[in-house]
Amino acid sequence: MRSFAVLLLIPILLPPPAMAEDGAQAFTPCRACHSLDPAERNLPGPNLSGVVGRPIGGDAAFDYSPVLRKARDEGLRWDSKRLEAFLADPAAMFPGLWMSMRGIEDAAERQALVRFLEDPSSR
Amino acid sequence: MNRRQFLGTAASGVLAAPALLRGAAAQEGPFRVKYYPVTAGMGSRDTTPAPDGTIWFCGQRNGTLGRLDPRDGSSRLVDLGKGAAPHGVIIGPDGAPWVTEGGQNAIARVDPGDHKVTLFRLPETEAYANLNTAVFDKSGIYWFTGQSGIYGRLDPKSGDMTVFKSPRGRGTYGMTITPKGDIWYASLAGNHIARIDPATGNATVVEPPTPNQGARRVWSDSKGRIWVSEWNSGNVSMHDPADGSWKAWKLPGSNPRTYAVYVDDKDKVWVTDFGANAILRFDPVTEKFNAFPSDKSGANVRQLDGRPGETWGGESGNDRLVMIQTVAPA
Repeated sequence: MRSFAVLLLIPILLPPPAMAEDGAQAFTPCRACHSLDPAERNLPGPNLSGVVGRPIGGDAAFDYSPVLRKARDEGLRWDSKRLEAFLADPAAMFPGLWMSMRGIEDAAERQALVRFLEDPSSR
Repeated sequence: MNRRQFLGTAASGVLAAPALLRGAAAQEGPFRVKYYPVTAGMGSRDTTPAPDGTIWFCGQRNGTLGRLDPRDGSSRLVDLGKGAAPHGVIIGPDGAPWVTEGGQNAIARVDPGDHKVTLFRLPETEAYANLNTAVFDKSGIYWFTGQSGIYGRLDPKSGDMTVFKSPRGRGTYGMTITPKGDIWYASLAGNHIARIDPATGNATVVEPPTPNQGARRVWSDSKGRIWVSEWNSGNVSMHDPADGSWKAWKLPGSNPRTYAVYVDDKDKVWVTDFGANAILRFDPVTEKFNAFPSDKSGANVRQLDGRPGETWGGESGNDRLVMIQTVAPA
């Protein structure tokens, strides 16, 4: 009984999961080049609607860096784990990437951003 | 007080001995290309020559400002602070490098003597500005862009800063000043250039004739004509504000992607082409290009600057600086 009570307390004692607004905030600088609106095209970066689960370099309307075209040709896909690793240091995963940004050091921020990109209901 | 630190001076000095000196094929002049390796993983990008002969450069990936001594190839890094991600650097009237420091959402001044870092933070209402490029006007005011869709002015003496919303939102990128003192910027996502009235801060949009061209950077020539690197179209274009005219030239190659533009003291136009992995020189008189392809793939030179006889860039993908010598040394 006592252990059950402890279990009930765990959600209270643990820090809260990153909120949806954390993901939205983490996405703010990305908006200079990317959109999550599938209808919005001709931006400097590829459209990110449905990015998690699709092939790398998977926006057919976008002209990707050679290194991302190669990844696409090799059949690589974006899943949440790969995307989080990418966001930690994009140029380390794909040297020569045309996109230029410093990676996100904070793991919780990366995870919040991945969840935001993965789940439309979180937006 | 901001943290500052010198990093890897001795190690990078050893590594930074010029690695390659080679002639570019089929050139008009005595051009020589020289590479300077810097610290691995730093993402060496925008550069600017300092009055003392050294070259400042931004390490966007490791949050540092570098200083290369081309005489011996040594370099040292100044830590700009936690989370720093410097994008652009220019020399101020005080001889110091001034940095658009996107990671801390601030303008950073680095003292050229002791390398002390001073930050001028943007107001909290302008978080995540994506600070990009800057120029000093003739009265010493620092003007800057933020790709999230802002531009602004900073008075270095008082620290007063004003931020303006770009008229068409996100995309505000490269910036230049003409010999007369007019300030222009390019909007990458907005596909236009714009002129800022320094007195009011208002920006007037000017539409290039090529639709969805992706105007990324701008540079004025000695006549006040605005040269534009068009990322989407693969053009370099020129707008003459005196008569409102435009001209555009497609870069050679099958899939040009024009990133940087710089006009040298002879009014020759330099651009970088990510599609060809090359720096190009364009002569507006003959309308011909010279190509200087990198000897390494994925060079990604994102900005160019220079001084008489030398054009400089940062190979952000290879952690090297590149210099093209246009005049034979005396």
